[in-house]
Amino acid sequence: MSVEVEQFSDTSVSFIDEDGYPVSFPAKVRPIGEGYMIEWPQYLPVPRQITLLFNHITPIPTGGYTDRRYVMVRGSVEKSGDTVLFRPEKSYGWDEKKKPFFQYCEEKTSQAKNYLAKLSKNIGRPVKPRLPTAQLLFRATRFPFLTATVAPVLIGAGSAAYLGYFDPLLLLLTLVGASLIHLGLNMTNDYFDHKLGADESNITPTPFSGGSRIIQYGLLTSGQVASLAALFYVAGVAIGLYLALLRGLIPILTVMGVGVLISVAYTAPPLKLAYRGVGEVAVGIGFGPIIVLGSHYVQAQLFSIQALLASVPIGILICLILYVNEIPDAPYDAQAGKRTLVTRLNAGQVISLYKLLLATAYAMIALPVLVGYAPPTALIALATIPTAVNTVKSVKQTYGSPYLMIPALAANIRVATFTGLLHALGFFLWPVIMLLA
Amino acid sequence: MDVFEAAEKIMENALVSALSVASPKGQVSTHPMLPLYSRERKKLYFTSSILFSRKVEHIKTNPKVGVLFSGRQFINTPSYAAVHVKGDAKIYEENLNNGWMWLLDLWTRKEPYIGAYIKQRLALPLFWERIIIEVTPREILLWDDGDVSKQPRRWVR
Repeated sequence: MSVEVEQFSDTSVSFIDEDGYPVSFPAKVRPIGEGYMIEWPQYLPVPRQITLLFNHITPIPTGGYTDRRYVMVRGSVEKSGDTVLFRPEKSYGWDEKKKPFFQYCEEKTSQAKNYLAKLSKNIGRPVKPRLPTAQLLFRATRFPFLTATVAPVLIGAGSAAYLGYFDPLLLLLTLVGASLIHLGLNMTNDYFDHKLGADESNITPTPFSGGSRIIQYGLLTSGQVASLAALFYVAGVAIGLYLALLRGLIPILTVMGVGVLISVAYTAPPLKLAYRGVGEVAVGIGFGPIIVLGSHYVQAQLFSIQALLASVPIGILICLILYVNEIPDAPYDAQAGKRTLVTRLNAGQVISLYKLLLATAYAMIALPVLVGYAPPTALIALATIPTAVNTVKSVKQTYGSPYLMIPALAANIRVATFTGLLHALGFFLWPVIMLLA
Repeated sequence: MDVFEAAEKIMENALVSALSVASPKGQVSTHPMLPLYSRERKKLYFTSSILFSRKVEHIKTNPKVGVLFSGRQFINTPSYAAVHVKGDAKIYEENLNNGWMWLLDLWTRKEPYIGAYIKQRLALPLFWERIIIEVTPREILLWDDGDVSKQPRRWVR
């Protein structure tokens, strides 16, 4: 057990004095063999056991500090003249450069839960962590992921507008209905990943992977999560039913039925699609053809080749959000038997497939324009290619380091979202240009 | 300047301190902690997240604690002294969610950006469930210029 003493700007010695109080003093310490020589003040007694704290922070001129690291070492001491020889026995510490604060906190979740359990027992009532309701729902539903629904709904409506059909009120209803089903999906996913152990075993969750952690942190019970999921599904399906009655019972019910089925079966037994290596395909179909064709039908009351072709790139891109987010989760998913695509491939294969799928998505934006099934304005979606290239590099560079990957995960989501939104914009722009021309 | 007055200046201006508690086995656990000194109450406060609550469990068993202020670069005062406070700790855990918010003024003086982090508490919900540790000083040892080769000056309650 060795500590690089020069890495720390302050060292202190602590021991229990005769009154039973811990006493500490700043100490000069230098390594010697397996231990440390300590300059011990002559007026202080030398105990048998002491604790050393090696501590460092870098103060920030405007206030506060950064660059935190410390090591606490316990051991025995032996007096030798004016100095004392310290033999370390146990050490514990943290260096924020080596272990990101988020990970450090995550690893201590069980300590927090034990503390709350003891406190609840002592005071005779349950003590739970809390968040303001809006923040709780934001976190529980993983609200920012709704952009994955907004883009395909807009592409469906945009491809209908390209064919001359557009009703903003119907678009709004479709957006709300699909979003509610998506929120239900997110919470169902949390519920079953908790039940099946995938989220429990994950100790390096990021804002984009590892679930919402709402159950793991004790912010909501699994029962409450299941109830909320059901509520979102019921509300979303109710809007879908209304749209079906209004615009076409069988086609809309069929599309919605398949969508809901995929979203539940994604993690729910017996199918557990995500656990069998087909979750990515299911997500690609659900957020691609299902949402795009459904949104398109609500507007146009017909399915079209234009909508089907437009659904392919967004399906791939949303699938890639999931795919890249699976990278930091892979060791824990494998442990929990969640055989995602990433757990089945090696790092090189994961990156190659990522590149291939991205290239396919962009090709499938350009191809329909070339064959006349999409307007030339749809090509504005290709503007995200440089960002996508940088994102691939960033994913490759940070592969395997969950917290270093966070910016790459965020960039990957931005690529999918902005490409989808630009693709939709391309469809909406064309009739406007034609009208002005 | 008397010992208590000099120690107050150090405690008010230190960015970090070392809080030592005794474990049930009689060993010392020492933790770097942000010290919040209230001049009005003449008490020293710390807030500890429930994520790092082991020290609090130790204090509940044995409230005798020691707090060391040392490291010239951590203490923003014109003259430096290393200060050790022996004290009796009390734990406040009735309202973990926001019972510690009254300490925010003292906290912000040392970490001006802390308010921005609190606004984002949904990112680390358990970190912001916090216990207050209140330390009433019982004895203070003060080493002028941090020179521990000489006997410290003392203040005893």
